[in-house]
Amino acid sequence: MFTEFLYVCRNKGLKVSTTEWITFLDALSHDLAHSSLDGLYYLGRMILVKTESDFDKYDTAFLEYFKEINSGNMEVPEIIMKFLEKGEMDTTGLNKEIYQFDVKREMEETKRMFRERVTEQNTEHNGGNYWIGTSGGSAFGHHGRNPGGLRVGGQTGMQSAFQVIGERKYQDFRHDKTLDIRQFQVAFRRLREYSSKLDVAKTELDLDQTIDSTCNNGGYLKLEFDKPRKNSVKLLLLFDCGGTMMPFAEMCNDLFQAVHKANHFKDVKTYYFHNCIYSKVYKDAECDLGDWVDLDYLFRHTDKDYKVIIVGDAQMAPEELFDKNGNYRGPNDGMSGYEWNLLFRSRYKKAIWLNPRYHGKLNSLTWMEAESTLAEIYDMYPLTIDGLKAGIKKLMAPR
Amino acid sequence: MQETKFIGSKEYVASPELMAAVDVARALEKPLLIKGEPGTGKTMLAQAISDAFDMDLYIWNIKSTTKAQDGLYVYDTIQRLYDSQFGAEGVDDIKRYIKLGKLGEAFKSEKQVILLIDEIDKADLEFPNDLLWELDRMEFYIPETKETIKAKTRPIVIITSNAEKELPDAFLRRCIFHYIQFPEKQEMEEIVNVHFENLDENLLKYAMDTFYWIREIKDVRKKPSTSELIDWLHALSIGGIDPETIRKNLPYLGVLIKKDEDLDVIKKRSIY
Repeated sequence: MFTEFLYVCRNKGLKVSTTEWITFLDALSHDLAHSSLDGLYYLGRMILVKTESDFDKYDTAFLEYFKEINSGNMEVPEIIMKFLEKGEMDTTGLNKEIYQFDVKREMEETKRMFRERVTEQNTEHNGGNYWIGTSGGSAFGHHGRNPGGLRVGGQTGMQSAFQVIGERKYQDFRHDKTLDIRQFQVAFRRLREYSSKLDVAKTELDLDQTIDSTCNNGGYLKLEFDKPRKNSVKLLLLFDCGGTMMPFAEMCNDLFQAVHKANHFKDVKTYYFHNCIYSKVYKDAECDLGDWVDLDYLFRHTDKDYKVIIVGDAQMAPEELFDKNGNYRGPNDGMSGYEWNLLFRSRYKKAIWLNPRYHGKLNSLTWMEAESTLAEIYDMYPLTIDGLKAGIKKLMAPR
Repeated sequence: MQETKFIGSKEYVASPELMAAVDVARALEKPLLIKGEPGTGKTMLAQAISDAFDMDLYIWNIKSTTKAQDGLYVYDTIQRLYDSQFGAEGVDDIKRYIKLGKLGEAFKSEKQVILLIDEIDKADLEFPNDLLWELDRMEFYIPETKETIKAKTRPIVIITSNAEKELPDAFLRRCIFHYIQFPEKQEMEEIVNVHFENLDENLLKYAMDTFYWIREIKDVRKKPSTSELIDWLHALSIGGIDPETIRKNLPYLGVLIKKDEDLDVIKKRSIY
């Protein structure tokens, strides 16, 4: 019965494996949860979740599975009953903490969480509406980490006016397609050729040189070392998945495939954005709200040597780029798209922008303001084979 | 087990979740993976556990060039080649040229020890995968000497990561995970109090306000961390700075901020 929790977790997008689940059950049998719901929460989190960016998913799963224990209208899993028998569950103070947490929470945070719930509901949660009714009733604070604030009921009106959640589904670039991507692949090969001239330590024994040197040394051993020939180019790819990019989805797909088939890169990271880069980038081409990481997180996971390739048409209304509230599909977090792009650009040594609709130097027209502004921040090239070649040259050029 | 619980140490303030994570990792005999911003005390945790349980600590510092093999053993072929030229004594004994790495040393220890694999994300992407078997089974084989090194008592393995690279799933599956959150003001005060005997309350208050203000600035690339705050507080109290001027004058800012660009950003902000 308890196994259901595993599937709730998996439904929420947590990739919990069998091994981890068994470890969890093993831990429970050792009473490592100390017979308390709090203990259970943390125990599950430390074993089943392996990155802090998934904590929120775990919270939702945990809440969904355990919320009803308190109200008593759900059959309490046997294994939980065992804890309850073993010891008093410590629930004192929980309510108080939730209260404080709610007061403290900032508006933005509330909005964000609410939006996440809404998306989830649309996509995979058929039960629907579970939180709105239960507003404030949930006694599961877990020291305030878990959304006691699912009681956002009062702000429903604000939410619907706040943004448009279009159910536009974009083609996921990850599906394998057998298009001819050879040309792109050839272009990407250039990212390797140049990369053998890297400044790394000489650690590999150079046999030929060693033999030569030893001979020249009168037969006394003299070892020679060489740089390991290993590509150390790391790529960060960002795809625009906004509506205006739809006609180019196939081309983006080709590009994506080419990069992933060229497995000679040291590391490739791919993220997605919608029209413009703001405080968050999406993990998936679907650009589901909430399925994102903070730019901060991205910065921490990539050093400045990552070569950045942004693919997008840079088409957006000027206010989407310049207004501090211009992001109609997520939070702005205090800065305009323009400022976020400046910040983003400053983090990496090399970044290019590939634009399928590139207008080149004809950029005096007002409706292309966003494009020309972005072209000032990034080196912009058309998304063609030639454009890619030129861009890669730029990426590989010494400072 | 003699000591059943880890409750932090004199020099180390551990949150309840962290303590629970240490206990679970011990009980389940799994490596404990600690992630968190730089300067949140990941490395110090191992020291604190080793103090608390009175166990020896083996630290394996990972660098970008570190290979999994280095932690197990190194066969010094080059030394052997050189030695063989001059017919040095014992060249035919391979064992002389096998040197155990930190992992090997920890396995060989008679008593249970703590093994800290520090900053595992510095190494190559494949690095953690290369250690799966050894960490699971706590043993490895040296083909050169046909010897198996097996841990007598499983060491408590603590692994830290600055999250510079994502770690492979297969590796993560075997770990207990804990993320050290950047401490909130209140917790930070506790931490600071561990490091200072009697710090002027006013000084602490103003310094903390300024510290958290700096962390809030988005343009700051390298956010100051706990260890930097502590250094800064030392500097401030030794320098006898008037607490009320801290925010305005930002004295000894170099202790807190290490990048020129960040210094500029903060100075510009503080004018307004």
